[in-house]
Amino acid sequence: MKVMYINNDGGGFADYINVSEGTTVEKFFCENMSGREAQDYLIRVNRQPVPKDYVLQENDRVTITPTKIEGAAV
Amino acid sequence: MKDMKKLIQIANIVQTALVNLHKSQYLQLLKQIRDLSSLLKRLSIEAKKLGFALSRDWSLAADRCSHALTSVLDELAYVSPRILQRSKDPRHDVPKLAFLVQELQQLQLEFGQIAFSKENKSISVTTESIALGDVYLGPFSIELQLDRLPELYHHSVYRIVALEPHPAACDIRVTHPHVSDEKLCEGDGCLAIRKALEQGRLCDFFSLVNSILTNYNSGSPYVSLDNWEGTACYECGYTMSSDDIWHCSYCDYDYCEECITSCICCQEIVCTGCSVECEYCGDKACHNCLGKCSECDSTCCIKCLENDICPSCKEEMETQNEDQEQTKQESQEHNLQTPSTS
Repeated sequence: MKVMYINNDGGGFADYINVSEGTTVEKFFCENMSGREAQDYLIRVNRQPVPKDYVLQENDRVTITPTKIEGAAV
Repeated sequence: MKDMKKLIQIANIVQTALVNLHKSQYLQLLKQIRDLSSLLKRLSIEAKKLGFALSRDWSLAADRCSHALTSVLDELAYVSPRILQRSKDPRHDVPKLAFLVQELQQLQLEFGQIAFSKENKSISVTTESIALGDVYLGPFSIELQLDRLPELYHHSVYRIVALEPHPAACDIRVTHPHVSDEKLCEGDGCLAIRKALEQGRLCDFFSLVNSILTNYNSGSPYVSLDNWEGTACYECGYTMSSDDIWHCSYCDYDYCEECITSCICCQEIVCTGCSVECEYCGDKACHNCLGKCSECDSTCCIKCLENDICPSCKEEMETQNEDQEQTKQESQEHNLQTPSTS
């Protein structure tokens, strides 16, 4: 099934991707953000915070935004 | 701002701003294509010149035309791929009003409330109070200026306003290690912020900016947290802790130990600006311990001056006196040796 995935990490990315039926948010994060800690990100599904065992549905909108981004001086 | 009607009005303004942004992208592409068109015209002119030169067997002229053609072709080779890339850049549809209303509603949920200024055409949210390390910076207002969205690729389109300013001691414009003059240096967040704004994902935009403000990159701040507090040296701007401050009693400003000295005569602490170098000994003295030589008008410390005369003039005077004495003596001796002629 397809979900809209918006990844605000790095260069930004917004597109539909295929996920297996029964995929939880936790599993989705591990597959698409491997090596990263979930606690360092704001994870929203359909604009709402959801528990990690929430099962994704067709056309859900998943947004992952880092909470720690390094700024700089020009 | 829970009024749905107000949210729709704001969403409408946001949508208009995004339409203008998209239009500006196409206008930029159009400008580049027109520049490319000018280059092609130049190419055509140079080619005609080359043809004319060849028809007259003017080999030197043909050489020059060939060089000119190469120059234009080089420029074309540089410019064309960029225009092509820009024309292929993915274009996102302007989001629908319903989408933007949802964005505003989510923004309210994430940040508590949003503020809209009709006058400035801006949307603002307030962060929580931010403290990085031991340094309290206070809350900030992130103000997105919708009228400026078309300038997204050239200027910052939002401001970071410190609501309880606690700027760096050495530079009041720096209210956050990564904010100067209300402009955020986005660092790693630059691309994601731009994409979020292009696509009208307002909540993502404000969340990303918030993520930068609540994080400290010690590798590249405008002012590091280590140098945040303290007093800035009036001379060089170096930030000092209260234990390292030197005070000049003449100008009443604070200085670091590099910019301070003591008077060679009275030992009073004085800044390099309030001290003067003795023209004779070269040491620094305060204004109270300086005087002028009555002979040569040079400025000297009171240690060097004797009866208002500097050592150089004194030495000169003594030499002159000695010379006069010697001349007088020689004259007397000569008078004694020469017999009277009467």
